[in-house]
Amino acid sequence: MVTRSDHSATLAVRRRLTPTCYSVHFSLRVIAPPPTPGQFVMLRPEHGDRPFWGRAYSIAGVDADAGESTIELMIKTVGPGTALWQQLPLGTRARIIGPLGVGFPCEPAPASVALVSGGIGLPPLLFAANQLAGTTARCDLYLGAASAAELIEPERCRAATAATGGELVLVTDDGSAGEAGLVTQALDRNLADGGRYAAIWACGPMPMLRAATRVGERWGIPVSVALEERMACGVGVCLGCIVPTAGGGHLRVCSEGPVVDGLLIDWGAAC
Amino acid sequence: MLTPDLSARVGSLELINPILAASGTFGYGLDLADFCPPENLGGVVTKGLSPRPRAGAPMPRIAETPSGMLNAIGLENIGVDVFCRDQLPALRERRAVVIVNVFGESAADYLTVIERCEAEIGIAGYELNVSCPNVSSGGIEFGHDPRTLESLTSRCRAATARPLWVKLSPNAPDLVATARAATAGGADAVSLVNTIRAMAVDPFRRRPELARTFGGLSGPAILPIALRMVHEVHLALPELPVVGLGGIESGLDVVRFLLAGASAVQVGTATFRRPGAMLEILAELETYCRDQGVARVASLTGAMEAQDG
Repeated sequence: MVTRSDHSATLAVRRRLTPTCYSVHFSLRVIAPPPTPGQFVMLRPEHGDRPFWGRAYSIAGVDADAGESTIELMIKTVGPGTALWQQLPLGTRARIIGPLGVGFPCEPAPASVALVSGGIGLPPLLFAANQLAGTTARCDLYLGAASAAELIEPERCRAATAATGGELVLVTDDGSAGEAGLVTQALDRNLADGGRYAAIWACGPMPMLRAATRVGERWGIPVSVALEERMACGVGVCLGCIVPTAGGGHLRVCSEGPVVDGLLIDWGAAC
Repeated sequence: MLTPDLSARVGSLELINPILAASGTFGYGLDLADFCPPENLGGVVTKGLSPRPRAGAPMPRIAETPSGMLNAIGLENIGVDVFCRDQLPALRERRAVVIVNVFGESAADYLTVIERCEAEIGIAGYELNVSCPNVSSGGIEFGHDPRTLESLTSRCRAATARPLWVKLSPNAPDLVATARAATAGGADAVSLVNTIRAMAVDPFRRRPELARTFGGLSGPAILPIALRMVHEVHLALPELPVVGLGGIESGLDVVRFLLAGASAVQVGTATFRRPGAMLEILAELETYCRDQGVARVASLTGAMEAQDG
């Protein structure tokens, strides 16, 4: 059995990414085992019980160095819980449980991967691109957002994909940057134009994950999706984060996921 | 001073310490063993088990509330057979004290679960979840009607010689009457309280937060209510062992429940926030005993000073 830990951590760095998203870096002694892209942490302040639950955030990156780790998370503000780390001063103590859940199938590295990100779906895919940079995998990142202002760190994404020999494809709903339309439509077009991938890895809103699964089915490419759900515990016992599976039943996003084969999900019931 | 004696006793059941994992917050006993080994606790109360597996309620099932949370999980569980086959052997090997939480839609369901468990060694006792609708009496919860509760308890009593606890609902019209009914039916102890029926509303979507509209409130928000109920039952039935629960977050909260009359406590929602919470709470309890010169934790039960005037 994997041993998980509840780590003491300190808020070290904070940057604004877009009008609604920000990045935070927490320093902690060491996060072990080394996280896989797609895995997440439960984050809560060390003191106080507002918000009452920790919050699940996908890991955007980890730097480990001489017994000290820095973990980067990206947060979209949707309410008081997600706004918390935007307001607390640097140096605030936190508790971080993780790494948790199942990440993307990075080993063995696929020959080529389409990374498909919608909105705040970027963190695990940016982590994946950086992780795969040392392998033979080529990563193209389809970075989607509602508008140009909501695109998260396109230059950093471009550098990360370039390091794998891949490209960055920008897509916005309103066409204010890159291609206009949906990120899954851009992927589908590239495949129709002769593009080929060994795998599609997607993270974003449920309808986008459904569309990515359909695109994979059409072109015969396996699709791994990183799911998101409300969680009280993140460690498998509250049973609050279930998603219906094809053929009946359900899975826990925190434990059987968050990354699962897109074909496992009953998208009609899940969306 | 010497190391305080943390042991506790609930009726005939002796525990190494008074802290148990509450049903539904610690899986089947092994799920959080990496954060909190079950054998280090006074005991673990399993997720409620029914004769067959249950899929549970639709989503959303949980909602965050001020100092607490709501749940309507719908009693999802793996069923008693799978529990006995897949979970119990490892719990037994660890020498964990396992209390099986039992529920059903009929008295026959409760008996089926107990009879299946009676075939196994390594089960310390049973806790009846009586906050379930009784299908044969129009869906009224077993725990709401003292006569139904007494009948259910006595039928379960006849099926086992192991310790039998009844987990009382704080939503019952007359809590003390249900405690008396559980005693009359042969219960060794009562645990109280289960979650408090409540709801939350999303003002933007103009919908209840939970798919089932109503759910059970837990967490520190309910602690003062749970404490009052533990004390009321203790005053009315001083001989009846009470296992207290509801919003316990710290060692001092444990002491509060013991002083109000509990012989042991269960910790539930705190584990969701902090999966190792029970070990921290246990350490805090020990510190309290050292600082306050308490040689035996068990001596705290009901040991409240009378209020002047």
